[in-house]
Amino acid sequence: MSGRAVKLGLLAGVASCVCLAAPARAYETEVDASIAAQYYTLSSPWGAPQLRRRRYTETLGLAVWNIQGQADPRGPRLSFQSRLRLDADFGQSSAERTIGDPQYIPGLEQAPLDLMYAYLEGQRYLDGYLSFKLGRQYVFDTLGFWSFDGGLVTLSTPAHLLFEAYAGLEQRGGGLPTFGTRRFEAQGVYRGDRNGFDPAYYPLFLEESKVAPAAGLAIEASGFGVLHSRLSYRKVINRDEVNVSPFLDLGDGQFFLKGNRTSSERLGYSLRAGSATIGAFNGSVVYDFYNQIFSQFALSADAYLGSRVTTGLSFDRYTPTFDGDSIFNWFSHSPTTSALARADVRFSRRLSASLSGGVRWFETEGLSQEYAAKPEPDQTERLFDLALDGGARYDDGRDSLALRGGGETGKRGHRLGGDISARRRFSARYDGMCLLSLWDWSDALRPDRDATSFAYVLGAGVTPGPNFFARSRFGLELSHDMNRVVGQRFRALLTLDLTVLK
Amino acid sequence: MKSRPDLLLLLTLLSALVAWCGDTPALAGGKSATPAPSGSLSRPSLSDAPNALRPPGSLPDDGGPSPVVFPEQAIPLRFSHQKHVKQLGMSCTTCHGAAKTSQTAAESLLPPATRCDGCHGTNHRNLSAVTTDEARPLGQCSACHVGYDPKRPNVVARVLVPKPNLRFNHRAHVVGQGMACARCHGKVEELALATRDQLPRMKECVTCHLLGSSEGRSRPPASAASKAKAKAGRSAARAKASGACTTCHLSEPNGMLTTAFKSGKLLPPPWLHDAGHGADFIERHKLVAGDDSKFCASCHQERFCVGCHDGNVRPRRIHPNDFLSQHPVAARQDNPRCTSCHQQQSFCLTCHQRTGVAMSGPIGNMAGRGRFHPPQSMWTDPPRSASHHAWEAERNLNACVSCHQERDCALCHATRGVGGRGPNIGGGAGQGVNPHPVGFSGRCQQALRQNARPCLTCHLPNDQDLQRCR
Repeated sequence: MSGRAVKLGLLAGVASCVCLAAPARAYETEVDASIAAQYYTLSSPWGAPQLRRRRYTETLGLAVWNIQGQADPRGPRLSFQSRLRLDADFGQSSAERTIGDPQYIPGLEQAPLDLMYAYLEGQRYLDGYLSFKLGRQYVFDTLGFWSFDGGLVTLSTPAHLLFEAYAGLEQRGGGLPTFGTRRFEAQGVYRGDRNGFDPAYYPLFLEESKVAPAAGLAIEASGFGVLHSRLSYRKVINRDEVNVSPFLDLGDGQFFLKGNRTSSERLGYSLRAGSATIGAFNGSVVYDFYNQIFSQFALSADAYLGSRVTTGLSFDRYTPTFDGDSIFNWFSHSPTTSALARADVRFSRRLSASLSGGVRWFETEGLSQEYAAKPEPDQTERLFDLALDGGARYDDGRDSLALRGGGETGKRGHRLGGDISARRRFSARYDGMCLLSLWDWSDALRPDRDATSFAYVLGAGVTPGPNFFARSRFGLELSHDMNRVVGQRFRALLTLDLTVLK
Repeated sequence: MKSRPDLLLLLTLLSALVAWCGDTPALAGGKSATPAPSGSLSRPSLSDAPNALRPPGSLPDDGGPSPVVFPEQAIPLRFSHQKHVKQLGMSCTTCHGAAKTSQTAAESLLPPATRCDGCHGTNHRNLSAVTTDEARPLGQCSACHVGYDPKRPNVVARVLVPKPNLRFNHRAHVVGQGMACARCHGKVEELALATRDQLPRMKECVTCHLLGSSEGRSRPPASAASKAKAKAGRSAARAKASGACTTCHLSEPNGMLTTAFKSGKLLPPPWLHDAGHGADFIERHKLVAGDDSKFCASCHQERFCVGCHDGNVRPRRIHPNDFLSQHPVAARQDNPRCTSCHQQQSFCLTCHQRTGVAMSGPIGNMAGRGRFHPPQSMWTDPPRSASHHAWEAERNLNACVSCHQERDCALCHATRGVGGRGPNIGGGAGQGVNPHPVGFSGRCQQALRQNARPCLTCHLPNDQDLQRCR
């Protein structure tokens, strides 16, 4: 039985269990499934190779709420949530997955199965002081959007403080447990399952760290009404043997490194202070222990001018950091910094508009024009881009019209344009959408790729029925891009969303 | 536009779009335009009361409380609270008797018409045959019922006050906490008709229900002493009031807030966690979610976040138009930030290898490929000119990492012996071009201790440079 057959079998099994589940008693069961099929083609900048994308994605969610029995808004609550995804591309060539073939792409899978999350969650135990989560779960905070397999415990105290601790294994593409995605690994490392590989074959496709232990702590201050802050710490360890010979295939000596190594270790702090009548201040900072730098720093201050207008200023500074196994950490020099001003106006409860604009700058060590003759890396050169973003939205709950435009322009090129889209519900069952888009871009490094592109999208949807399938929808969208780079590009998207709450 | 047919098609489609939207409700601002319930709205839903008389927490231009929580009403009546309360000395509970006993928001606290009968000489006990005292001006139907037509006796416009989409216990607030009506409804006694505008504002609720506090934690029953204290002021009320959203807002079986109502979609006001879901919220949500993701989880399940951050259908709001063609420019501008959703060496690199864009990839995909970057003489060869790749790498290394693997860089940047062209490899030793940032020497020791792999990828263990870091 092939791996794909096993995966599909598993998916079908879970689907059957879900469909045959008995009607809810004290607990509530929610089942949702979505299917998206996308068909389009993209090609190399030189015309070939050409990739036929025949993507088929199926997602299945199962949630059981109030497992503990009768629901009490202030009492203990136990629930289970899970989501499984099959993300297949049937347009792939088998040669791309055949070891030794000149087209072989390490790590490429045709139909990876991804257990996105599956956890048991308990809330408000011990008189409301204790909550926990067990299983594959996400952590959202200033350190980013991250996933791990393990346990998380939250302790709420009467002193407006909340303590959180978690430990487990970072979700990685393979390894243990399986059915994962590489989405949540730190950046900069190309790795995966090297089973069946000669050591000299794609030496820079590193053996994955099968188990990557991770642990984190957080302290949250909340409940003061005007203030909320969170201090987060997280460390992830790389284990197992790893290749340190990038040119093994060219006769370079074999070097492997064993032992535990830091994958990432970061401390983050975020703060929000605000008054309902005056405005709000938001800030966050992240310190990367491995790189020993403040890798992210963001500030924003908003003022509420009456009940309809909000204006604000924001500042964001970001320096790329990578997995501790990656040499790119030590090639990373300078942050990208943005300083923007914004205004958000709510003309009515249905019509709102926003506009933000400012500068973004990129720094280098040394002056690019003089460096060849006088290399002085202590001097800083800043290259400025102008950034603009605007949008307006009318939404009456049934129909909507949205306008969005913006872009960024600077010495290295520009990207400017806008979209106008409309959605309309014709009845309780039928809806339609239309989008027109015009964008223009240029790339100073590759003038041959400059283009003005016009695109339109037409879509329609139908809700199967008013009761059982009231929250379900079948949709079809067709998009057509036209520009001198691709000529004509068509994309078809079919979606089926089913949600059932028993 | 590069071609005239494209322009024509654009204009045609734009016209079609405008025509299609032509009969949508006008984009007028002002007060909410939710269709009036049957029975017609013969008086405005909102009063023009001076702000001092409106409920605490209201602002001059706030347009009343949320029409999603308190749907639009129709009160085709002529009535003066001022006259009844200030001139006639009636109390609020004379008419709104249930204000002290009501325990759910679904209960109507409007007085029944029979309440008027005692003074006005009418008889509303049988609504299909109401009798009046025609001798008294205030005893006639038209005295109170706006638009009453004597030619159609006993027919009046209906009062429509939809139940609010809210949980509220009047008894707990009025009796339990000793709160005066004005605390939530403003100075109604100074007004004629009290409209929807006199309904409470959330801004005032959260002065006691401190947001984020006591996420549903059970609370001990209040003692008699604490009740007395509660009457004394706000601080004691705060001690009892839960700040959990579901204290007041309706929720789904899964414990999350109900956000879809016939009257509209429930969205946070701008001042609530600074999370106004305006047209630009998609750009600024990271600060709100990064600080307090539990707040987001009041309404959004994880699958909502995952839809973009680990999604598989391109979100057009983020990646408009032919993004496949324009993404190299966006990536170099780091706008939007690719790493928010993509792992470069799995998501980006794999596709770049398949299309032959990546420098190190399948040989079969390299055939016929041209040069992606500017000519080698200016892009990679020394000396470092203004067009050298080093500047781009320093500005935003993420853009490089989406195509290049370590060995592409080690080729020149590794020191002799290991990376680059080692002694066993034809072409000579690696060039050892130092790629490290300013201040690296002060950081290398700790980095080497934590993870030596990057160091050993480019340096031999006995490398002089490495020895300096040990």
